[in-house]
Order: sequence, then C-alpha cells, then structure tokens
Amino acid sequence: MRARDNPFAADRIERIRYRFAGTSLDELLTDLEEMNYRAAIMGPEGSGKTTLLEDLRQALEGKGLRTKSLFVNDESPLTEPQCRRFLSELVPQEVVLLDGADAIRRSSWFLFRRHTITRAAGLIITSHRPGLLTTLVECSTTPALLREIVDDLIPQAHAISPALLDDLHNRHKGNIRTCLRELYDLYAFLPQQ
Amino acid sequence: MGKLSIELKDGKHAFAPGEQVEGRIEWSLDSNLRALELSLLWYTSGKGTRDVRVLHTHRIDSPGSFGLDKLSFTLPPGPYSFSGKLISLIWALELTCTPGDETVRQEIVVSPTGREILLTSVPGQGQDSRPRQSLQSILGVPHASA
Repeated sequence: MRARDNPFAADRIERIRYRFAGTSLDELLTDLEEMNYRAAIMGPEGSGKTTLLEDLRQALEGKGLRTKSLFVNDESPLTEPQCRRFLSELVPQEVVLLDGADAIRRSSWFLFRRHTITRAAGLIITSHRPGLLTTLVECSTTPALLREIVDDLIPQAHAISPALLDDLHNRHKGNIRTCLRELYDLYAFLPQQ
Repeated sequence: MGKLSIELKDGKHAFAPGEQVEGRIEWSLDSNLRALELSLLWYTSGKGTRDVRVLHTHRIDSPGSFGLDKLSFTLPPGPYSFSGKLISLIWALELTCTPGDETVRQEIVVSPTGREILLTSVPGQGQDSRPRQSLQSILGVPHASA
C-alpha cells in the first residue's frame, strides 16, 4: 500500500480529536476558569494529553484568550537559557501551554511555575505524573476507544477484528499512538487494491 | 455555504517538471471575501510528520463574493511525485479564502513519466522481516460491502 493511502498515516491521525469520557470540553473550560487557568492534564504516554491540550488551545483562543505553546520531550529538551528566553517573551495576557512539563529540569520547572503566576494569564501543562499542578483531568484509554478510533480511520472493507485491536491495546499498554503506528506498518504491506 | 473550484486546462493532471500548469479558479460564496489565495505546494504523507513546501502563492485581494480568474504556474524541476510504503510526496494546488475556512485542493502529478514514481523495496535493504502470510490472519474478515 502506498503511504498516501495508508489510513494510519500521521496526517490522518493528527486529525483525530480528543474523545471525552464522563466530561466535556465545556466542563473542562469551566473547571479551568475556576482554577485560574493553572492546571495539569495527566496521563500515560499515548493517552491523548497532547491532543486534549491542542483542543483546549483552540477553545481558549475561541473564547478570545491568547495562548503560547511549548513542546518539550527527551528529543526536544529545554535548556535553561531557552526557558528564560521563553519566559521573558511572555505577555501577561497569555496562557502558557506547556506540553511535557515533567521532561524539563527541576530548576526550569520552578522558574516556569513562579514566573507564570504573575506574568502570564495561566499555565496549563501535560505531565505523566501528578504533583506539578492541580490535576484538571486524567487521560486514559480503553480497548473500546482504540476500536472507535480505528473504525473512524479505516474503510469498511479493511476492517480489523476487534480481538486484534484488544490484543494490540494490551501489548502497547494502552498507548494509542504506538498502536496506530503498528497498524500503519501492517497496512503498509497490504497489496494494492 | 459557497463554492470554490480549481479547473485545470484540458483536464490535465499530470505534468513534466518545469512545465506550465494552467487553468482557472472560480468562487461563489455567501459573503464578501477579503482575499483569495491560490498556492502551488507539495506535502508528504506517511508514517512520519508531514512536511509542506509552498512554492508559489497568487493572492487576489477583495475578490468579491463571486468571480473567476486564470491560474498559471511554472513547475520547478522537482521533486517528483512519488510513493513508497513509508512516505508519499504529493503536489497540489490549493485555493483558500479569507475570512472563512473553505479550502479546495486539486492534486497534480509532477513526473517525467506522467505518473507518480512508485518506490519499491531494495532486496535485503530495509525490508520488513515480518512474514507476509501472517497479514491475512492478523486482519479480520472484511465486512461485506454495502
């Protein structure tokens, strides 16, 4: 199968939005406002934290708030000078969206936390572990969620058995991102229709 | 709801590198537009992050709520349109309007053969070692077509 036809191509996966379970975007926005826009989205890898943060960014901007995003992980680390520069360029009307707060150094995190109290309109982070900021929502996945996402991505004729998806979800310990990457590889070797 | 469209001259969709792409754009929208932008671009699709490169942009300010205009772009020498299992490179013309989020995209092929170049695996290099016969057992029974 050509990469462009692969239903699990990265650009198609990026179009998947966060699926709410037991709450809604509006409820989260209300909670955020009550928390003065200082909160954490928690959850393990591949559970939708980044997707939810992006959805929140759009919703906040839709409400007229300004946002400033920063993505940090082991491959894109944040040095202390970069951290200071980012913070120095902040304006008080901006809500900072920090994706990967637990990947930055402790000293940088303290700078972030302190600086954004007075010089930003908020700080919303994603993190794998609790304790950095009050938790807004804890993301998790289920085999049913994976099945639902796959159903949306693939044409009917190529449907994958639910048992395979449940097994995949289990093997990847609930990491939807890596499940979808494995499905990309499987589909890459499908013969052309 | 309105309409944006891109029509290529003689219905041609495959072009040689360096060739001229010609046609016309048409728009008919409910509200008065601030601007229309027609871009010639390529992008990638596949397992990795998408790359996009915009080669040319033709902007029409205050185009009114309906109208048409010619399009004409000269293609660069490359890259060619291609597809492998991990990545495809796709050329397109894209028409967008401001304000609004309406967009129309017309894919084209840029290749000396007039067809997308298909990349095949080099034996012994980077091939997936998983046994292919397992694929059918991994994939479930296809749904009956509606």
